[in-house]
Amino acid sequence: MQISTQSGTTIDKTILNRNPSLIRRVFLTFALLATAFVHVSMAQKAITGRVTDDKGDPLSGVSVQPRGNATGTSTNTEGRFTINVADANATLVFSYVGFTPQEIQLKGRSSVDVQLQAETQALSDVVVVGYGRQKKVNLVGSVSMVNVDEKITSRALPNISSGLSGLVPGLAATQSSGMAGNNAASLVIRGLGTVNNAGPLIVVDGMPDIDINRININDIETISVLKDAASASVYGSRAANGVILITTRSGKGQRKTSITFNSNTAFTVPSKSYQFMADYPRALTLHQRRASVNTLPQNQLFKDGTIDQWMALGMIDPRSYPNTDWWDIIMRTGEFHNYNLSASGSNEFSNFFASVGVKDEKGLQINNDYKQYNARFNFDYKLKTNMNVGVRFNGNWSQYAFALSEGFTDPDPANTAGNDMQYAIAGILPYDPATGYYGGVMAYGEDPQAYNPYTLYVNSLTNTNRQEANANMYYDWTPVKGLTARVDYALNYYNSFRKNANMPNHAYNFQTNSFGSRVYVGPNAGVSNNTRTGYKTLLNGRLNYQHNFGGNHDVSGLFVYSEEYWYDRSQSSSRNDRLHPSLSEVNAALTEIQSTGGSTDAEGLRSYIGRVNYTAFNKYLFEGNFRVDGSSKFLPGSQYGFFPSAAVGWRFTEENFLRSFTERFLTSGKLRASYGSLGNNSGVDRYEQQATLATSLYVIGNSVTRGFVSNKMINPFLSWEETRVMNLGLDLAFLNNRLTATIDFYDRLTTGMNRPSQFSILLTGAYEAPRTNIGNMRNRGIEGDFTWRDKIGQVQYGLSLNASYNATTLEKWNEFIGRGSSTGGNQIFLNMPFGFVYTYEDLGIAQTWQDIYNATPQGAQPGDVLRKDLNGDGRITGDDRKALANVQANRPTTFFALNGNISWKGIDLAVLLQGSSGRKDYWINAFNNMNFGTQRYASTWAHWENPWSLENRGGAWPRLGGAGSNRDETTFWLDDMSYLRFKNVQLGYSLPVKMLSRVGVSNLRIVASAENLATISSFRGLDPEKEAHDNNMYPINKSYSLSINLSF
Amino acid sequence: MKKTSLNTLLIFLLTGLIVSLSACKKDLLLQDPTTELAASDFLKTEADATFALMGAYGAARAVFDRDYYFSGHGEYTRVRGTSAQSGNILRGDAYQGGNYNPSDYGAGFDKYYRYLYGAVNRTNYVIENVSRMLSEGSSYSASNLETIIGEARLLRGMTYFRLISMWGHVPYLSKVVFSNAEVSDLPRIPIEQVKDSIMADLTYAFEKLPVKAAQFGRASKPAALAFRGKLQLYWGSWKKNGWPELENFKQDQAAAMVAYAAAAADFKKVATEYGLTLYKNGDPGQIDALGQADILPNYYELFTPKANGNPEMIMVFTHMGIPANPSQGEELMRDFSGRSHEGSQLWVMPRYELADRYQLITTGDFAPKLIPMNPTLPASNNVARTTPNSAVNPASYANRDYRMKSTIMWDYEMSIGLINLKSTGYLPFIYQSWAAPVTISGVRYTTYNTDGNNSGYVFRKFLRNYEGLGRSEGDFAWPVMRLADVYLMYAEAANEVNGPQGDAISLVNMIRRRGNLPALKADKTASKNAFFAAIEQERIVELVAEGHRGFDLRRWRAIERVWGGPGSAGVWRIDTWGSNQQRYYQNTNERNYQQNYIFRIPPGERDRNPNLTQNIPWL
Repeated sequence: MQISTQSGTTIDKTILNRNPSLIRRVFLTFALLATAFVHVSMAQKAITGRVTDDKGDPLSGVSVQPRGNATGTSTNTEGRFTINVADANATLVFSYVGFTPQEIQLKGRSSVDVQLQAETQALSDVVVVGYGRQKKVNLVGSVSMVNVDEKITSRALPNISSGLSGLVPGLAATQSSGMAGNNAASLVIRGLGTVNNAGPLIVVDGMPDIDINRININDIETISVLKDAASASVYGSRAANGVILITTRSGKGQRKTSITFNSNTAFTVPSKSYQFMADYPRALTLHQRRASVNTLPQNQLFKDGTIDQWMALGMIDPRSYPNTDWWDIIMRTGEFHNYNLSASGSNEFSNFFASVGVKDEKGLQINNDYKQYNARFNFDYKLKTNMNVGVRFNGNWSQYAFALSEGFTDPDPANTAGNDMQYAIAGILPYDPATGYYGGVMAYGEDPQAYNPYTLYVNSLTNTNRQEANANMYYDWTPVKGLTARVDYALNYYNSFRKNANMPNHAYNFQTNSFGSRVYVGPNAGVSNNTRTGYKTLLNGRLNYQHNFGGNHDVSGLFVYSEEYWYDRSQSSSRNDRLHPSLSEVNAALTEIQSTGGSTDAEGLRSYIGRVNYTAFNKYLFEGNFRVDGSSKFLPGSQYGFFPSAAVGWRFTEENFLRSFTERFLTSGKLRASYGSLGNNSGVDRYEQQATLATSLYVIGNSVTRGFVSNKMINPFLSWEETRVMNLGLDLAFLNNRLTATIDFYDRLTTGMNRPSQFSILLTGAYEAPRTNIGNMRNRGIEGDFTWRDKIGQVQYGLSLNASYNATTLEKWNEFIGRGSSTGGNQIFLNMPFGFVYTYEDLGIAQTWQDIYNATPQGAQPGDVLRKDLNGDGRITGDDRKALANVQANRPTTFFALNGNISWKGIDLAVLLQGSSGRKDYWINAFNNMNFGTQRYASTWAHWENPWSLENRGGAWPRLGGAGSNRDETTFWLDDMSYLRFKNVQLGYSLPVKMLSRVGVSNLRIVASAENLATISSFRGLDPEKEAHDNNMYPINKSYSLSINLSF
Repeated sequence: MKKTSLNTLLIFLLTGLIVSLSACKKDLLLQDPTTELAASDFLKTEADATFALMGAYGAARAVFDRDYYFSGHGEYTRVRGTSAQSGNILRGDAYQGGNYNPSDYGAGFDKYYRYLYGAVNRTNYVIENVSRMLSEGSSYSASNLETIIGEARLLRGMTYFRLISMWGHVPYLSKVVFSNAEVSDLPRIPIEQVKDSIMADLTYAFEKLPVKAAQFGRASKPAALAFRGKLQLYWGSWKKNGWPELENFKQDQAAAMVAYAAAAADFKKVATEYGLTLYKNGDPGQIDALGQADILPNYYELFTPKANGNPEMIMVFTHMGIPANPSQGEELMRDFSGRSHEGSQLWVMPRYELADRYQLITTGDFAPKLIPMNPTLPASNNVARTTPNSAVNPASYANRDYRMKSTIMWDYEMSIGLINLKSTGYLPFIYQSWAAPVTISGVRYTTYNTDGNNSGYVFRKFLRNYEGLGRSEGDFAWPVMRLADVYLMYAEAANEVNGPQGDAISLVNMIRRRGNLPALKADKTASKNAFFAAIEQERIVELVAEGHRGFDLRRWRAIERVWGGPGSAGVWRIDTWGSNQQRYYQNTNERNYQQNYIFRIPPGERDRNPNLTQNIPWL
């Protein structure tokens, strides 16, 4: 029997209660029992019965105990038991690992049959929190939980971070590139908490700092997002920006060993991309038009003859006069394959989950590949009734190949090679198979540095391998009832190796049959290696105590001692002059020119964590937490930070005086409030606080000599950044849990953001400004999650809406903030949003000279963007900019998502819509430049169609080669980045169980799914999730996939 | 499960527990860096004192070794950008973002100001700590430590000299600073006082430094003396010509004469007392035919690593290319040549107007003015390359000052192409062609490939003609003080005091001899003004692209003389084809001129420091 379909963030347990066949069966059983055993004996009485799981299979080894009595028995292999009880009205407690304990009042019966529910199916009642699980009804912190079910695993998701988009209110998962291997979403919980690392802490099976993007999605059971101080406080250090807790699967409660095979195959296409012009004469004509603004025809670089010749000969000799469609050459239909095989099961002593998986991504760009293998083994073993041991092991191995770190563009300012799509002119032949040469510039006047991206993407690849092994084990012991001691030890090891061994090639001119001046990779090409390896260890000792007194008072306490240690080392080597281009290792190169590098660094963290929970009458809830963290990044005396928090909850619907009033519509209701502090040390480098000297080497004679300089002033008092979070929450369930709502309001103030201190320019040329704890940032926001779930006949459906609003305000800053100051690309001013929009206002494109005369003088001509003289001083200066206080340039303020699903018999349909608003950004980048360079510019069709001219007065862009101010940050280029996206649509079909059972298959589901199917946005650039002003032009993927889920 | 195996497992687990608990690290929170020296372990030995001094040399090098960019402030060198990399002090960060145009540059040097003070702090660290070691005495060699202090004081003096020559009054730091509070409200110190402190530093250095540096790369006595002379020469110029943009600075002819005389005395000493000679005794060397470059004059060699350690190079900052890790190389090739030379970027190029500055060896005077002609225009298609004195006719460059061929290349001049550390053979430079095939005298060549050339000339000066080093791996020791400069500065100072005198004239003629030019004719030394013009001519030609011209124009108050006064039409810079390229000082107002005479105190610092005043034109 299918108990429930799990999806989204919550599961409705009431479906179970409402299942008429189950209720009927239980009722009948009870009725029969009642009539059969009318005699009630007061003497020792033998009770017999049978315990089964929800499928009716017998459970052996189930503990059966009368309540309040330590002696008990357990079931045999057929699930049967016999127990003697003194009291005919005694209550029997049935407990079994992996199953929800059940209590049955005998009420005089002598035979009891019990069906236990596996705990996995009761997950909605239990939420994974730091160092434990809590009943959802008793939760006072702000926690959202995602069950990773088939709705998620059947999507073509390259990693779980991008899969979290739209699932959790308050969690922004922004994906800014579709590049294979580099397509992770950046995760931010409840707004940017600090100018330092504002990403959440990722904890996987109790081990912090695991790369969320390397976890096999199919291995994940649940993801908990801890958003406020009360829930995250036990991770105090580094939890200031929230915590994402990932729990991997186990075989708990699975009586029958099941084997599951998942396959997901998708093809991907760009959601949108630039339309480069595969028409070189026309591109040169654009150069002419642009140059004609200020250059006499005889001084122009491209002459009519060159263009006419290319146009004519291009039709008959495409080898010497190519018009290359680069997009066609360097792009392909992407592929995504994900195959997983897992097995899981359990018995009375143990349970296991084992899986192997392979993920293979072929990016949209040629030779951009990412492949990852995963293996996992999770095992728990019951040593004694009060002792457990378990292990979690995950190994993964990835191979990643790419040409440029952003795909088509190179953000490294030190790289002057011009490897950027804006320089990929159409007049270059990618490759000539007849000669084996790669094309270069041929037209007279063209810049020989214009480049051939094909050769780069074929011959200059970076290959990166990375292996990780993450293992942790635990041992727990419950010496007396209620008290559990536990030790965890975890070790994460990684090794990553990067290699470059570029193939020599040289730009060829097919017109002159000679090599051009550009050498893409010289004949002295060498090889460079870079190895990074390291590990992290975690040791936790934990004491847990739980007690119930007076029947109505539950108290539990937790104390943890924890040590974390990081160790990283890197080593690099390179040599020039490979012996032969076919060889690619360091030893296969000459030794005349070589270089090496290497270093290690380490960090330690020691923590003491405590938590107390108290619940009275199941309606008054209290939780207190504290965490003390000591970090080796700080100096003795300032190493430790203390981060306490407290939370209270009130389940007001449990109050009799309210219940009579609310019970007609309100199933349950809870008010939560929490306040507490969290820490962050991410801005500080590992050895930043140590008084050390820097090297400033010099050359004496003919050799390098040692030189040391003092470049540090230490602030001995530097310590933790502290974030105080106040959270108010309301959990409501209406109409018998058909409608649930969770609303949270928070106020999060980060104080003492560690920042390089204000430092005189007399010192900054010699010293690093020491960090001090100055700078306050406040995040205020509200978020809500509303779910409706019901069943009409055979049709089951659900609708869930979540939305969040956040405002990030800078309240204190250590530096003088001048007009237009920014930090890390964020415009700053006190009491303004961090990264607000500061812009000139435009008056549109000047159409006539009269328009120019009517506007404030600003050196414009018809075709240029006119700006408003906001302060009316008769000049256009930086002072004419205006701050927009309600929009942010880099992050949306509002996120929303709508998740709907409907199922009928075996068919199910799910839709995820996701969007955001509150962000405006300038669409000014290298690919919509109408003031492009005089040579080597790869124009797009938009350059042909959009620029203003006398013939095209309605042009969407200013004229070609117009005023430089046309590219300034005016509202002309300021786009609203709001969008609504059909993130995922999936249609699934589960074959009937009856049919499958004949061939020994328990479940077979086939799903057709699409990602990023459509996006509604007014943004003119590529994708509203990307940074509008950035040159990174790797498109966001749109994918169509077919997924098969088979279990037996 | 059997009891025994359970116990075995238990024992195993307990062992595991003990092992993991013993992994508890007592010093978990005390992690020491593995690649950085602890400050407490330093400055214990004399060797440490030297290492500290080397750190100071490194910092000073960073603010002097790309001075060639400053040539852009003059009229003969175009600096269209720089190869300097932001955030990387070894790659010219101090010069990064500066404005190297002939006008409107005064606000572009906040970063340079910052790194100059960086060098001041570095030298203070050496001076203060090594002085302490000196006072602790006994086990250290006093003279050795005094030399170290002397070198550091020379570097500090040079740095402050640069500061005052750009900003006038500047804050003065003479001690190691331990916290921001010590400097956050420092006012500017009047230029006279700063100058006196520089004099003290340079005098100390002069007294303590050895006549000849023990090692190549370190300073010697003549260097200190030459800088002291230069400081006084500049002081004399400011006093004589005035510096109206500098508040409270008084023009004073008498003081000027005193300074000039002192400068002349110091220069004279440098020129005569230490046995220093020009490179290869100032011989011009051999020169190849037009369009050939197998034999190049000595002046060309002077700017290649062959001249490293030559006595003419009185004070240099050293470099080393390979092994390039950690990188100590210079990027002269990257800045001065084009793509066909190790992918260089031609950030720096001669302006067209430089060519006419090279005199004829036959007459010792200027050649007829070159005529710019466009060889692609139909009308001149057949004649531009052959018209006498046409700028694109190679024959127009015959019989010129040897320094011309050593310094620049015109159409059909050859240089060695270099790609991937290997020679690609000779490349002819032909303006407006980029790696084009061309046949010259039956030999097929590929032309020199440049980025952004707009004058019709490229530099040969600083361009290596042999393979093996990349564009960022140069090993040329950058001269900050050259004997030729000392000769010319002596002539200038002496001329100011006494007018044209024999010893000064003969020193200028020694410079001219290097270009194979005859001695100055009598009319060139007939008067103080005529001789000054001859000296200026030699400074332009001899020191081109070494960063001096902008400083000279300012201290002589010659900007108006070169570009025209306020409100004038300005001056076009053109190319060999006759196209106008850039016009400077067109309808420029007076304030703009003032701003070109003095640099802007970084406003970001003034935002924080209420005591820091601004130079008047920048208020």
